[in-house]
Amino acid sequence: MAYSDKVLDHYNNPRNVGSLDKKDPNVGTGMVGAPECGDVMKLQIKVNEQTGLIEDAKFKTFGCGSAIASSSLATEMLKGKTVDEALAIQNTVIVNELSLPPVKIHCSVLAEDAIKAAISDYKQKQAAHKPALEPAVA
Amino acid sequence: MEPASQVSYFAALELPEQLSIDRKDLEARFYRLSRTLHPDRFARAAPEEQQRALDASALLNDAYRVLRDPVARAEYLLSLRGLVPADSKYVPPELLEEVFELNMALEEVKMGDREAIPQLRQSHKSFQQMLAETDHGLESDFSAWDSTQNPELLDRLRARLNHRKYISNLLRETEKALESHVSD
Repeated sequence: MAYSDKVLDHYNNPRNVGSLDKKDPNVGTGMVGAPECGDVMKLQIKVNEQTGLIEDAKFKTFGCGSAIASSSLATEMLKGKTVDEALAIQNTVIVNELSLPPVKIHCSVLAEDAIKAAISDYKQKQAAHKPALEPAVA
Repeated sequence: MEPASQVSYFAALELPEQLSIDRKDLEARFYRLSRTLHPDRFARAAPEEQQRALDASALLNDAYRVLRDPVARAEYLLSLRGLVPADSKYVPPELLEEVFELNMALEEVKMGDREAIPQLRQSHKSFQQMLAETDHGLESDFSAWDSTQNPELLDRLRARLNHRKYISNLLRETEKALESHVSD
């Protein structure tokens, strides 16, 4: 199957490949997979404590070109957004941007799931982190 | 002969609808039934009869392809029972972690040049072993399901099926990497 130029670009020069410190309370990690295709996608965000903006995003995906391109594009889109803006990102944006054919739409869904999983992990960590800072009730 | 479209894959191979299957027995059934449907036997039959034999033979081939694969067989039977839930794509986090780590290791080995071949062979061996272990686990899941149909078994069964898909994919990747090294 022929990949679009944009998919090929992200596939050949994936942006933001790598990982962030999983233990950092400002880092959220999302790990999702599609067993049908053997895909595994890890996507991480780092939120700036002061500004509340996503200052860094990294990914590592094992899968087809479209899955790699979808997650690569997702990390690009995430940077500079607030967590709520990031939550609003829908897979259709990725589909359009990469001109994904119908059979590859599930790759963009996987990327959207990864974003949501990363944010949910971040929120859980923040919730677990914050109450500890409040003075304990005697 | 019943119309081919209404016959389940299990019925096509004259098997009860259950997950546990003896592969040798399945193979023997497939060859025996294939012979009874061979076009040569219908050379002088009426055209409708020839067509029916052809349809039955096509069904038999599909049935054999699906039933001999444990994952395809389980998914087929569960879908016959209407047991394909919305969350069938759910993969337990531990499994994702494991598959991710295995992929990382495999990628590192693949990046290596020809010197990586022994390591690739090693990965290949360990994936084969993991596949055998998963299949062993599947066999016991299958017979537990066949005898109890306990819905609580389904989650474990689905997790194991997903695990098998991932491992067989890794195995295939390793084989591809080995082939490309050998053909260099």
